[in-house]
Amino acid sequence: MSVKPSRMAVEMENRLRHKEPTARRRIGRKHREWLAAALFLAPDVLGLLVFLGIPMILSLVLGLFNVSGFGQYTFVGLANYKQMFSDSLYLNSLRVTGIYVFGFVAGLFVASLGLALLVKQKLPFTGVFRSMFFLPQVISLVVVGVVWQFMLNDNIGVLNKLLKSLGFSSYSWLGNPTLALGTVLVVSIWVFMGYYMIIFLAGLQEIPQEYYDAAKVEGASNWQTFRHITWPLLKPTSFFVLLVSTVTGVAGFQAFDLIYIMTKGGPDNSTSLTIYYIYQQAFEYNQFGYAAAMASFLVLILLIVTAAMFILTKGGRFEVG
Amino acid sequence: MGQEKYLGGTGTTRREFLAKGAAFALAAAVTGPGLTVLSGCGGSGGSASEPLTFWQPYSGGGQKGVKRWYLDLAETWNKENNTKVELRYIPTDQYQMGSQLPSAFAAGNGPDIFALSAADFLKYYNGGVLQDLSQFMEKEAINDFDYNPKFSSVRKVDGKFYNLPYEMEEMAMFYSVEAFKKAGLSEADIPKTWDQLFNVADKVKTADMFGLLFETAPGLAQNYAWYAFMWMGGGNAVAENGKESNFDSKGTIQALQFWQDAIKSGLAPRTIQGSGYGDLVANMGSGYCAIQNCGVWAVAAMKESAPDFEYGVFKLPVPPGGTYTTDNGAWGMSVNAKGKNPEEAARFAVWAVGSMSKDSIQRCTDWITKAKTDLSPRKSVMEQATKQGAFDSGPMKVFKEEVDPGSTPEPRYPPEIKKAISDALQASELSGADPKREAQQGAEKINAFLQSYSGAKIV
Repeated sequence: MSVKPSRMAVEMENRLRHKEPTARRRIGRKHREWLAAALFLAPDVLGLLVFLGIPMILSLVLGLFNVSGFGQYTFVGLANYKQMFSDSLYLNSLRVTGIYVFGFVAGLFVASLGLALLVKQKLPFTGVFRSMFFLPQVISLVVVGVVWQFMLNDNIGVLNKLLKSLGFSSYSWLGNPTLALGTVLVVSIWVFMGYYMIIFLAGLQEIPQEYYDAAKVEGASNWQTFRHITWPLLKPTSFFVLLVSTVTGVAGFQAFDLIYIMTKGGPDNSTSLTIYYIYQQAFEYNQFGYAAAMASFLVLILLIVTAAMFILTKGGRFEVG
Repeated sequence: MGQEKYLGGTGTTRREFLAKGAAFALAAAVTGPGLTVLSGCGGSGGSASEPLTFWQPYSGGGQKGVKRWYLDLAETWNKENNTKVELRYIPTDQYQMGSQLPSAFAAGNGPDIFALSAADFLKYYNGGVLQDLSQFMEKEAINDFDYNPKFSSVRKVDGKFYNLPYEMEEMAMFYSVEAFKKAGLSEADIPKTWDQLFNVADKVKTADMFGLLFETAPGLAQNYAWYAFMWMGGGNAVAENGKESNFDSKGTIQALQFWQDAIKSGLAPRTIQGSGYGDLVANMGSGYCAIQNCGVWAVAAMKESAPDFEYGVFKLPVPPGGTYTTDNGAWGMSVNAKGKNPEEAARFAVWAVGSMSKDSIQRCTDWITKAKTDLSPRKSVMEQATKQGAFDSGPMKVFKEEVDPGSTPEPRYPPEIKKAISDALQASELSGADPKREAQQGAEKINAFLQSYSGAKIV
């Protein structure tokens, strides 16, 4: 004789039957999401690993060797690092880099913020001005270096001709050790100010117009508006600009091209940034191991500087209230 | 079964899209770059029929005659030989101070044949990558009968050739005839001493034109241009015994002081136009300066790019109590001892510029008379070029008869010594540093290097 299951038992059984497939679907979907994410990220991660991660590790290891550049590798431990601190040219390059970074970051910040505030105004031909300020960013740095070198030439360069016509003396902008680094700095800022202007502009446009309207109603001056509304609300953007420009300055990617074309590290090593000195050690002196050690140390400096920036600015967090 | 998401109404589910995308990416990775990577993992050994690569700073740009000479060289060899030669051009500045050549050697993929100057000779010899070329040369070419012994000594180790120079490029002073005329000067006023040079430069200088020009950018080129001024006063970077430096000698100090005075007095500029001191067309030719320290190669450059510019040449003036000399450098052919076929590459180099055959001698003659305007380190070539009238008149006559006698070959200092010299020169010339102090510091750096140096002889 068969026993008819109770209603409760049937309901429980149905619930379980429905629950199992649902649970299976939940796990399956989550798993698929992870797989999709991994597949989309894979090319980038692989690229970073192959072209950045692994070379960085290899470079770190290379710094422990004396490398002749012709296939001879001799393990020397920390000798390359010890040599760095007694190398007067390396220490000079650190000093030059420090001055360059300080000037580059500060100058770029002020210039690009100023331009952004300017082009945010509703003035005629604002679009044209924005494009013009951004234009240097799209020109090859080699071309920039050659043209500026031509314009800054002693006596007959455009700038010196202008100065002489106004009754001033001409200067050797790239041939005088006291002026050369500043000149390269100005050219670097000129190249990048358009790009950071766009970044600041985006940040400025995020600030609600109502705040400015309210400030106007309250009778706030331009300076008060900038100081109490614009500046605090621009913190995240400012932090980003400071961080990226610091990394750019220390690593010297753009500066290398300009220095290679315009000054070759001279006059008298006054524009010999660390990145340029590393290049010289590797490719002119064939000291690949020493160059790798210096490069690794530069990365360490960069990490310390950026970590300090994060700590001091509390990560550029926007503090409400 | 749950609802599937369809992409764009195509009927393709997200799962199908991801699966197909992954399969495509995998296929591309394996068949495309994957094969390239795999084929690159073969090591540097190659078969005898693989072409030999010849890297040099001439065949791709600049003067047409130079380019043509290299192209003809490769074409002629390739017609007659199974192993072909492929030219690869790298601009001079990049070739000497760039990363391509060092990177290639560091990766074990250095060119089979490459142009090399004395300045970099020891870098490659001490690295063990230079092939002995003497074993492929005729006796008449090897012994000092044909090759200028003093000039070729910096290309040899233990009497064997590791580099075959095919030119000699002396330094001199070029002057603008028009600038001289405007200042009321003539050939009779050509300076013979350093003081006279400054006096003349002062007279020809104008508001828009410098009186004089010396190289100011740091590097091989500046060192090369400056050495002669040091030697004339009896100075040198490394003593005859090769074990110590005499860089802090009177000759060095006065040479540093001389170049410093040229800048300080405003006679010479701090920056140079074009590609540097070697670019006569962009500097003197454009009216940037009236007198320029430059080399014999500039004669061909002026002929091609500024044929109507009237100029003259005179040998380097001497300091008080000094003895005339000038720097004499050159490119030469070297062979990579670790290349795919060093023997065949060596045969090519010798056939090209190091043989006593009529073709080789004619080829070298064409190089110094048609492609460029140079002198040759080979007696046979100079005789042939002289017969063809290459030195009958004009600047080349001056170079052969006045500039070349007494010249000193460019030294083969290792990079550490070159840097010590460059730093002293830069500091003195452009920062106004005390030449005596800079010379002493330079000597200390060179001595420190020599203590641990263990490569081939430097002097």
